[in-house]
Amino acid sequence: MRDLTDDDRSGALLRRVFNSEYGFLVVVLTLLVVGLSLAATNFLTPSNAVAILHQSSLVLIVAVGMTFLLITAEVDISVGANLAFASCVVMDVINQTNSVALGALAGIAFGAGVGLINAFVTLVLKVNSLIGTIAMMMALQGGVYLYTREAVQNHHQIEIFPKIATGFILGIPVPVVFAAVVALAGWFYLARTRGGRLVFASGANEAAVRLSGYSPARVKFGAFVMTGALVGLAAVILASLLNAGQPTAGTGFELTVIAAVLLGGTSLMGGRGTILGTVLAVLILKIIDNGIIMLRWNQDLQIIVPGLVLILALYMDQKKRGPAHG
Amino acid sequence: MPLSANPALPQNMLSRTLRKVAGQSEIALFVSLVLIVIVFSSLSEYFLTTRNLTNVLGQASIILLIATGVAVALIGGEVDISVGSLVAAVALPLVEIMNATGSLSLGILGALVLGLMIGAINGYLSAYLRINSLIVTLGMLFLIRGGVYLWTNKRAQADTAYLDSFFAIGNGKAFGIMPIPAIIAGVIVLMVMFIMHKTRFGRRIYAAGGSAEVARMVGYDVRRIKFICFLISSTLATIAGILLASRLGAAVHTSGQGYEFQAIAAVVLGGVSLAGGRGNILGAALGVLILAYLSNGLGMINAPTEWQLVITGIVIVAAVSLDSYKKSKE
Repeated sequence: MRDLTDDDRSGALLRRVFNSEYGFLVVVLTLLVVGLSLAATNFLTPSNAVAILHQSSLVLIVAVGMTFLLITAEVDISVGANLAFASCVVMDVINQTNSVALGALAGIAFGAGVGLINAFVTLVLKVNSLIGTIAMMMALQGGVYLYTREAVQNHHQIEIFPKIATGFILGIPVPVVFAAVVALAGWFYLARTRGGRLVFASGANEAAVRLSGYSPARVKFGAFVMTGALVGLAAVILASLLNAGQPTAGTGFELTVIAAVLLGGTSLMGGRGTILGTVLAVLILKIIDNGIIMLRWNQDLQIIVPGLVLILALYMDQKKRGPAHG
Repeated sequence: MPLSANPALPQNMLSRTLRKVAGQSEIALFVSLVLIVIVFSSLSEYFLTTRNLTNVLGQASIILLIATGVAVALIGGEVDISVGSLVAAVALPLVEIMNATGSLSLGILGALVLGLMIGAINGYLSAYLRINSLIVTLGMLFLIRGGVYLWTNKRAQADTAYLDSFFAIGNGKAFGIMPIPAIIAGVIVLMVMFIMHKTRFGRRIYAAGGSAEVARMVGYDVRRIKFICFLISSTLATIAGILLASRLGAAVHTSGQGYEFQAIAAVVLGGVSLAGGRGNILGAALGVLILAYLSNGLGMINAPTEWQLVITGIVIVAAVSLDSYKKSKE
């Protein structure tokens, strides 16, 4: 037996990466980074890299929850409306109490409460979660205007509040730290714990989970509430970023989040998906966004390209897997 | 209970007839619609007037057309959510061609060509390349909206041809009462109903949506059937887009946003299954009308628009959960 040369090893590694679930995403990400670095001189700079991560964090935080939900074969369309409403709650509570902690807690509790209702509607009332959460979206869009007619302004002027979105910890933007912690925790739970295996099983084969003495409903309940709570966390960051609670924020946010999760290889049918895939997909979409600005292309392309990438990604995935369904 | 098991007993027959009636979801939907009309008529003197009742039909005609198309796709086992953007896109060739040539029919032709192209792309990707149609049409929703923004530079394109015929299709009234868009939508919905329920092709759509495998074994070309479902859905959305452009007097780049969700909600409220193969066009149309009259009635009693959204959401959840409760008991 001869020793593997470095060349063989890197070849094997490349093959492994390409054949893994993330192969396609890694290749796209690499091509994007290389291409944009060549095309725009100011793309590959530390400050731009930090900016991209910063812009990714809001979507990523919610996308982690959505990954869990889709793996259990459920979906939440109300995240965009929830985000807007929760951001108003955050600002309002801080204005009332002069406490950032209470405001953040209220926002997260509100988001989780919406998730709780979504879970109730889906699991107890047995309404398909696509329809149930569309209805929730309508209710929240109407509800937020009943709550506040206009943006909730910052009346408290607490110094630390804007820092949630714009501050740094050890040179890393605070929202990025939040997103990284959420993604890491989500990855660990899904990939390394028995609870994580139950999440997959609940989406792939509900009956089998029930037969082995676990409750798929409880798993789904957790996924709904967690997604809601993460929307609440994102709302704290959003309120800090805009320095206001904005009832009109979050339009189309649900579509961006779902597009990212699907691009990351999570199946709509449940039972399949990874946090790493979601992270890569969010980065790809945000790098495309960033690249379009760097290249001074028309910013309307920021809506077109993700649509194209999404369809293309699913097509490649389908080809790799072979015509399994349809 | 030997007594109640006897089918000849009158109370048993009554309960059976009742159950049959209540089980027919269209009748339940119709009763709900009548109830809504009765309740709001007693709350507002302006609700139960021919003028108001027909005006609502005019307003509802756009969602009615879109929802009917979405229902066809859902019955065929696929979903089309690109319709919200399609509505805005088809208005562009319509208005630009009309402005350039002064011809409404050429404009409509342009709109139909674009709509059919979008439908063909949706259908090809979903039915032939077998990419999940929710994802395909979600991608198209983004793509088309972005295309509209690029084309218009995010400005509404006004109709400068001022054709009476173009104004009339969205705003006119036949015999001074019935809005013309409602008549157009009504006729088209009746046609779709005929195709879906009275023709062999309609039965094939149900078969393809109910079980693609069985349909394939029977020898149906499932891919072609689903492809045509997407063409139907985008054609109906195109007609809706033409009516909307006429009502707005322009091709508005932001128009139609969220229509896809409204249409799906109404259709599911009308008893069309998200799983495919179940439901019918009459139910879908009743679902649209229920939401339209509910929203109009709430406006009539001066409920803020915000409440209309909240109540619509609650009604959808209540109706769908009731339906799934009924199914679980069967």
